[in-house]
Order: sequence, then C-alpha cells, then structure tokens
Amino acid sequence: MTVADREDLPDIMVRLGDGRTLQLPCKRHSRARRIKLSVDERGPRLTLPMRASVRTAERFAQEHVAWLEAQIANLAVDAPEALRAGVTASLPLRGEWLPARWIAGRVNRVTLADGELLFEQRGNSDSAVRRALRDFYEAQARADLAAWLPKYVGALPRQPSRIVLRRMSSQWGSLAPSGVVSLDLSLVLARPSAFEYVLVHELCHLIRADHSPAFWREVQARCPHWRRERTYFHAEGRALKARLRALT
Amino acid sequence: MFFRNLTLFRFPASVSFADIDERLRETALKPVGPLELSSRGFIPPFGNAAEGDDVAYMHQIERSIWLAIGGEDRLLPSAVVNDQLQKKLAEFETRNGRKPGGKMRRQLKDELVTDLLPRAFVRPVRTDALVDLKHHVIAIDTSSKKSAEAVVSQVREALGSFPALPLNAEVATGTLLTGWLAGDALPAGLSLGEECELRDPGDSGAVVKLQGMELSGEEIETHLESGKQVTRLALKLDDHVSFVLGDDLVIRKFKLLDGAVEQLESSDRDDIRAELDARFALMAAEFDRLFAVLEPVLKLSKAG
Repeated sequence: MTVADREDLPDIMVRLGDGRTLQLPCKRHSRARRIKLSVDERGPRLTLPMRASVRTAERFAQEHVAWLEAQIANLAVDAPEALRAGVTASLPLRGEWLPARWIAGRVNRVTLADGELLFEQRGNSDSAVRRALRDFYEAQARADLAAWLPKYVGALPRQPSRIVLRRMSSQWGSLAPSGVVSLDLSLVLARPSAFEYVLVHELCHLIRADHSPAFWREVQARCPHWRRERTYFHAEGRALKARLRALT
Repeated sequence: MFFRNLTLFRFPASVSFADIDERLRETALKPVGPLELSSRGFIPPFGNAAEGDDVAYMHQIERSIWLAIGGEDRLLPSAVVNDQLQKKLAEFETRNGRKPGGKMRRQLKDELVTDLLPRAFVRPVRTDALVDLKHHVIAIDTSSKKSAEAVVSQVREALGSFPALPLNAEVATGTLLTGWLAGDALPAGLSLGEECELRDPGDSGAVVKLQGMELSGEEIETHLESGKQVTRLALKLDDHVSFVLGDDLVIRKFKLLDGAVEQLESSDRDDIRAELDARFALMAAEFDRLFAVLEPVLKLSKAG
C-alpha cells in the first residue's frame, strides 16, 4: 500500500439554517474518489478528490447543510467532558469509571491506589496535567501488555520489533512491515478483553499479513471471543476515542 | 572497551545460550561481496587472532556474555551516483538525439551502480552487546533503535529463535524522572548528576538542556512550575557509574567512575586480551548492579 497524499485547503465557510456561518476544514486526499462530508469526534470536515474543484465542494457542503447540522447536534449530546484540573471527579480506565482525587504535589502525576486515581498537580499548566494523564494511561497500557505478551510471542514466527502506543485517528492497531506494532492509546479505556483482542489481532498479522480465513483461524485459536469484542468496538469505539481526545 | 550507550531488550528465561559459540561461528561476518552494499555477522569480541589460532566468537564471565557484531558497508554516496548518471544521460542524449525514457534511466543507473560498487570504499563497523543471563537482558552498545534492532535480529538468526522485546516500563518514566529532579527520594545508591533535559508538554515543545550544573535551585524550580517534564536525567550509582537515563529507557553516556576503575588499575596485566577481559568483567558487574537498582523502581517487565 502506498502512502496517501494529503493537501490542506483553506477552510470553507458554510451558512447554517439559523444564519450563522460554520468554518469547515477542507483537504484533498489522493485516495478520495468523491467529495465527502463527514462528522466525527474531531469535528466536521470536507474531503475532496485530487481533481475536484473547490467551488463544487462549496456547493456540495451548502446543499447538505441540514444533514451537517443534525450530525453536529447529535455529536454534541454525546461529547465527553474535557479534563478540568481540580474539578474532574472520575476518569475512565479498563472499562470502568474510577474516582479521581486532586492534591497539590511536587510534579504533575497520576497514581492508582485502592481503586482511586490520585492526581498530583503542580503549577497551572493545563498541558502538563493532560500530559501526566496521558503518561499514566500509557504506563497502565504497558503493564497490561507485559501481562499478556508472554502468552503469545513464543508461538509467533517472528517477534514484533517494538510496540508503540499512540493516539490513532480511526484504527485500533496496525503492524508495519518492520514489525512495529502500533496500538491506539484509547484501548486502555476499553474493557481489558477488548484491548487483548486488538493485541492478538495485530500479533496474528505476524503470521498472516491479510484478513483471510486462515488469519481469522489464528485469531480464533488465541481469542475465541473475538466476535464479541468486535461488536463492543462497533458500539463503544467512537466514544472511547472521543473520551481520550477530550482528556489528554 | 567500555560500552558508551545501552539500549536494552529483555528475553525469556527459557532462551538457551548453551552452544552459542558454535552458532555464532555459523553466522560469522563474511567480507562484503563486490556487488553487495553491506554485510553483517558475528566477529570475535577480542578481535581476530593470528592465523591458525582458534578464536572464540563469544566471551563469558560468570553470567555475562560478550558478543560483537561486525559489518562492512560500501560507501557509495548518492551525490556521486547522481553526478555520474547526469553525465551518462547527457551522453545518451547527444548520441541518440532524444532524452532517455524512464526504463532506460533505471537501466543506466543500475549499470552505473554495478560499475561503481566494486570500487567503493568499505567502511568497517562494530557493535558490542552484553547478554546478562541473570536478569535476562541484552544490552547493546548503541542509542539508535535501528542499530539495536539489527543486532537483536542477528542474534535471532544465530539462535533460531530469540523472542527479545525492547525494555518495557510499567511506570511513566518521564514522570518518575521529573519527580526525582523535583526532590522525590531516589532509590538507594542513586544520586543526581549534572545534566538534564526538560521538555514542555504543550504544542510549543520547548526544550531546555542543562549541562555541568547542580540540578537544584530557582532555575530548575521555575521550569518545573511551568509544567516542563524531564526527558533525560544524569544519575550516578555510588561513585562507580555515571549515566544519563532517558524517558525512552535508553541509558546514554554510561561511564565507569574512579571508584570502579581503580579496581582495574590495581591489578597487573601485560597483554591486551587480559586487559579487555578485566574491563568486560568490571563493566558486566557494574551493569548488573545498575540493572538491579533500576528494575524495581521502573517496574521493568519480564519477558516471560
């Protein structure tokens, strides 16, 4: 697969039904085959094929303004609350909501003790608080991976060269030809069985680099409940990603 | 031979190094062929012996094994290839009265590389590795992830199977290092050195590097107050080892200090092999001590 070309275009202004204007981010994508208007937890955006004209795209967006408003309204209802230093009273982890307690500390850090998240805060830097939470989530995810990996790596034809946890926009995991496994950090907010399924899925790509029946047999042998986990992601996936984005 | 940087990988306790010398011999470095860009393979850690002598491809002291991966890279700068290619293309155009197509350009380039490769300089490279059988860790003398992964692949090729994974900390390393700089108690034996790097977690990503100064005082407090986080921190283990620990878990600037080196100077050795042997023994012992201190505090995962 080749890397897609992307080009950011100036935002398009769309007139909403109530007379307000909406700034619509717009970009060209080499893999786009038609003009696409989409709305997700990152907001609305317009994607154009390489040769489509901006004027046509503007007309397209304006024709679908009613749909756009409805989608934005739907998303606003489910929008997760952003992290507020000293205020946020509970945080998600491993499919649960845990109480959070804020105290003044030497550094910004989060620790888990007796089912409670203790948030030490220093200074007023919002980005430092968010970073501390992100580092905490990453460490928790690494602890989970350390518990699961020994079960699976021994029987693989080759080992992953590295496991990277990062924020992925739409995928849950991927395997690079170099053997680097990337996993979405929001998996640590999901229930552990779902996180483990994504790990197994990516590790099985070290055996089969496709989604053939043979690949799914490998997944089935290691994770018999994979269909249940996939259904869970279909239902909860978008909310998990949105939650992580709002918090970190 | 003291290692300068340590990139660490962990392997399961079940991995056997029993007949490793034989296996390393089978994957020994072969000279780079005239049409090859590079070659990699194991070399004797003490260097090649005189002709006829049997050389060992590993050196073991107690539970530490010293391996060396050698390589030969042909130096063929792309600027040289492109310059020569332009001349060939111009020659083609003059001769045929037209510009060469894409296929012809590729063919001319391939011919040129085939012609230049045998004449290119060969640069020897070497990376050392320490296999610690007590902690089940392989420490590779490089700070480059790519080079370290290449060494692990080489060991994997020799052993047939080597399920080693990069070191995994179950705590937020950056937060831990920041805490130490801010005044949290350090593990027994560790003390702060005189170097650190702080990074702003915001979009600006501002970086502050401090070297050769005491890591305390108003300046440090100001950076911590603004939310900056430590990405590298110089530490000392007793008066034996100094190093810089990064939030990527790479140990840089690993250096044995006077407290350790004086043990080396007090013994009499007259040949280079005995000297290297003593240095490796000392380094392996200090690494063992350092790992035993870092493992619990960083909650380093076992590989199974």
